[in-house]
Amino acid sequence: MIEYKSVLTTCPYCGTGCTLHLQVLDGTLVGTLPAKEHPISQGGLCIKGWNVHAFVNHKDRLRTPMIRKNGKLEEATWEEALGLVAEKLGEFKAKSGPDSIALLTSAKCTNEENYLLQKFGRAVIGTNNVDHCARL
Amino acid sequence: MSDRLTSLREAIQQVFPQVDGVLGIRRGPGGIISPYLFHSEHPEELEALAIWPKEPLPDVLRKIQKAHPEAKLAIVCRGCEERGVVEMMKHSQLNWDNLTLIGLQCTKEEAEFCRCAKPYTVHAKIVVGEPIEGVPDPVTEKVAAMSREEKQEFWKEQFLHCIKCYGCRTICPQCFCNICTLEDEKFVETGRLPMPNPSMYHLIRAMHMTAKCVACRECEETCPADIPMAVHFRLIARDVQEMFSYETGAILEQKPPQLLVLEEGEYERTGLPH
Amino acid sequence: MYEPKIIGFLCNWCSYRGADTAGMARMKYPPNVKIIRVPCSGRISPELVLRTFREGADGVMVLGCHIGDCHYSTGNHRTAKRMPVLKRLLEYSGIDSDRLAINWVSAAEGEKFATVIKEFTEQISAMPPFAETMKMEETK
Repeated sequence: MIEYKSVLTTCPYCGTGCTLHLQVLDGTLVGTLPAKEHPISQGGLCIKGWNVHAFVNHKDRLRTPMIRKNGKLEEATWEEALGLVAEKLGEFKAKSGPDSIALLTSAKCTNEENYLLQKFGRAVIGTNNVDHCARL
Repeated sequence: MSDRLTSLREAIQQVFPQVDGVLGIRRGPGGIISPYLFHSEHPEELEALAIWPKEPLPDVLRKIQKAHPEAKLAIVCRGCEERGVVEMMKHSQLNWDNLTLIGLQCTKEEAEFCRCAKPYTVHAKIVVGEPIEGVPDPVTEKVAAMSREEKQEFWKEQFLHCIKCYGCRTICPQCFCNICTLEDEKFVETGRLPMPNPSMYHLIRAMHMTAKCVACRECEETCPADIPMAVHFRLIARDVQEMFSYETGAILEQKPPQLLVLEEGEYERTGLPH
Repeated sequence: MYEPKIIGFLCNWCSYRGADTAGMARMKYPPNVKIIRVPCSGRISPELVLRTFREGADGVMVLGCHIGDCHYSTGNHRTAKRMPVLKRLLEYSGIDSDRLAINWVSAAEGEKFATVIKEFTEQISAMPPFAETMKMEETK
C-alpha cells in the first residue's frame, strides 16, 4: 500500500513560527509544503522553511555530541559530554564568579526548553546573562 | 459547496476498486488542509475529504509516481490541476496511462479568487460539479493597459518586496528540472536583497514559464510578498497562443512549441525580419 | 550624445563570416557593437540576453543564419521561437523591446551586416542609456 501523508508542524528555524507540512511518502520525508489557511504564515514560507526537509536526514547532520581531543573533534556519549560541560562550568564559576558565564539559546528549541535554560542560568549558575537568537 | 463534496465522495468510492489510491485533500488536525492519498481499505477517511482551498496536487502526484511508477493512481483535479497533469505528461514527468482523473469543477467564487479563464476540466472522464464560464482577470488587464514607464515602475515596486524564498519556483507544478537556472549564480545574483532592477529572477522565471504556465496561481498564493507574478505568465500565454497556436493542457497530442522546430506559418507570426 | 554599448552575439557559421566579409570589403560601420562569437544563435538563451542587459548593455543583437541554412539544421529555429517571446516579456516589464534585435545574416551578406549594425546603432543612440532608464545601480 502506498502511503502518502502530510505532517503538520512548525518551522524550526526562527521565532516567527510559520506552519508547514512535511510530505511523507512511505515513511520517508520527501518535501515541504506551506500550510494554507494557517493564521501565522498564511501559505507562505521563506527559503529556509521551504528546505526544512533537507536537513533531517542529511549525512552531515550531527547525531552524537563531539568533544575536541588533541585538536580533533571526536564522537562522544551524552554522559561524557554533559559531564565535561558540568565540570568546566563549575570550574569557571568557582574561579571567576557566576557572571563570567553567559547562556545562548536557540529558536530551534521549544518555549519550554528555552524556559528551562534561563531557569538553569538564573537558579543554578546564578547569572542574568541569558540571550536568544530570535530576540532580533 | 457541500453538494459537490458529497458527489466527490461518491465519485471517489466508485473509482476505489480500479486504483491503488486517490490523491485529494483532507482537513487534518486543527482544520488545516493538506494533500492526502486516500485508500479503498480506509473509506472512512473520506469523512475528512475537503475541496477548498486547493493544494498543489500535480506536484505531489509526480513525487508519488516517481517512487511507484507502476501504481495505478487517481487524482482529484480542477481545471488548472488537470492542465498541470497534462503538461507534466508532455514533458515525460508522469505516466498518463496509469492515471485516472476525477474532474472537479470550480464555483464562481473560486474562479474569481483565481481570476481563472478556464475553471473547468476537459479531459477527465469522471466529473463532479457543473462547469462554469471563465471570469475576467482584472489585474492582468490593468497591467496590460499601462504605459511602458508605468509598467516599469509597477514591477520595480513589486519586485522590491521579493524575499527570494524561491517558493513560486518550488510550488510550481511545471518547475521540475533537476538543475535550475535560478540557482545559477551566473544569472541570479546571491546575497542581494532587495534584488537589483531589472529582476533577473522574475524575468528568467517568466521566460521559463513560456508555454508551460497552467494558470493555477499557486505561485501568487504562496508568495509572502503578494507579487502578482502570474500576470507575466498570462500575458505571455496569450502571445504563445497567437504565435504558435498553443494552449497549455488543451490538446493531449499537441507537443509544446518550444520543444519543436518551426512549423508552416509560425515564423510569419513571430514578427521577426525576413 | 553618448556612445551606446551594444553586444552582438554572432553565429560562427553565417553572421560571423558575414562580419568577416564586411571587413574584407572594407565596409564602414559604427564601432559600438562588441562582437561575441557563439557556435549557433540557438546558444543564446534568454538568460544570457537578460544578463547582458543587467551588466549595463544598451542594446543586444542576436544574429544567426537564415532559417533553413542553420549549420545544425534547426538551431536557429530555437532563436526564432524564444526571442520573440523575450521581446514581448521585455515590453511587459516596461523595457523597450527595440533594445533587442534579432536578424539573419549569411556569410555572403557583408553589406547587410554593415547596414544592420549601422541601423541598430542609430536606433539605440536615439534612446537614453539603459542603466539610466532602469535607474539601475552599478553591478559589483
